[in-house]
Amino acid sequence: MENNEQLERFFDQMKKQDEQLEIPAFPEVKTRKFSFWIPAGIAASMGLAFLVIQEPAPIENVKPEVVIITLQEDENQNQHFTIEESTFLDTWESPTASLLTEY
Amino acid sequence: MNRSQLDHILKAHHRDAYLWARQCCSFEDEMAKDVLQQSYLKILEGHAKLKDASKAKTWLFSIIRYTAIDELRKAEKVVSLMDSYDPIEIKEEVDGTNYEEIIKLLPEMQREVILMVFYHQMTIAQSAEILQIGLGTARTHYDRGKKKLKELITKVQIQEEYGK
Repeated sequence: MENNEQLERFFDQMKKQDEQLEIPAFPEVKTRKFSFWIPAGIAASMGLAFLVIQEPAPIENVKPEVVIITLQEDENQNQHFTIEESTFLDTWESPTASLLTEY
Repeated sequence: MNRSQLDHILKAHHRDAYLWARQCCSFEDEMAKDVLQQSYLKILEGHAKLKDASKAKTWLFSIIRYTAIDELRKAEKVVSLMDSYDPIEIKEEVDGTNYEEIIKLLPEMQREVILMVFYHQMTIAQSAEILQIGLGTARTHYDRGKKKLKELITKVQIQEEYGK
């Protein structure tokens, strides 16, 4: 059996002295974890940005780049030029195509 | 383990935890409060996890001790083991009721084992777990610490007798 009486007495007295100590209140520890609102806010901003990016861009009116000049003959055998402007060419006829058929 | 269960464990051991933090911080109250706050934060933020609820006190004491070592290191108050291994001789007269000053005269590891066993009613095995040392080493610190503390108490008593 160990003879620890002297030490036990010492620590009993130390504990009695410590009873006079002011123990701080249990602290309200606030963890530094992310709040729910931070990721929610980021997600909402990203969603909004996505919608803005996705908005269809207005279609620009393309300037007509093709001028179609047609020579037409009316019922009185008079020839008239008709000039049209278009962005594209539907059909194209060689200016010398008539030569192929006529000769 | 959820937050409320952890809160419950911490509240149950709060007084002991503060006293242990104070003992690990050379009995400095303000440092002990900081260390305790930091230890609780580590636990509640999940940096330190309790696996076995039956070892809650041992686990808490271990976290407090390591947090205190970090704080003392920052404050450059850590004494290397080699320096602290031999007992400090009493040069000035120490009051016999100044228990903190007497216990501070013990080398660090011996002081910690003795405080855990005699003050906090832990076993040598639990002390070894907190200090993360082998049981044999803890037993050696315990035996040496006991012997040194007895010598110190006797010396202080003799000093007081001669002083009268």
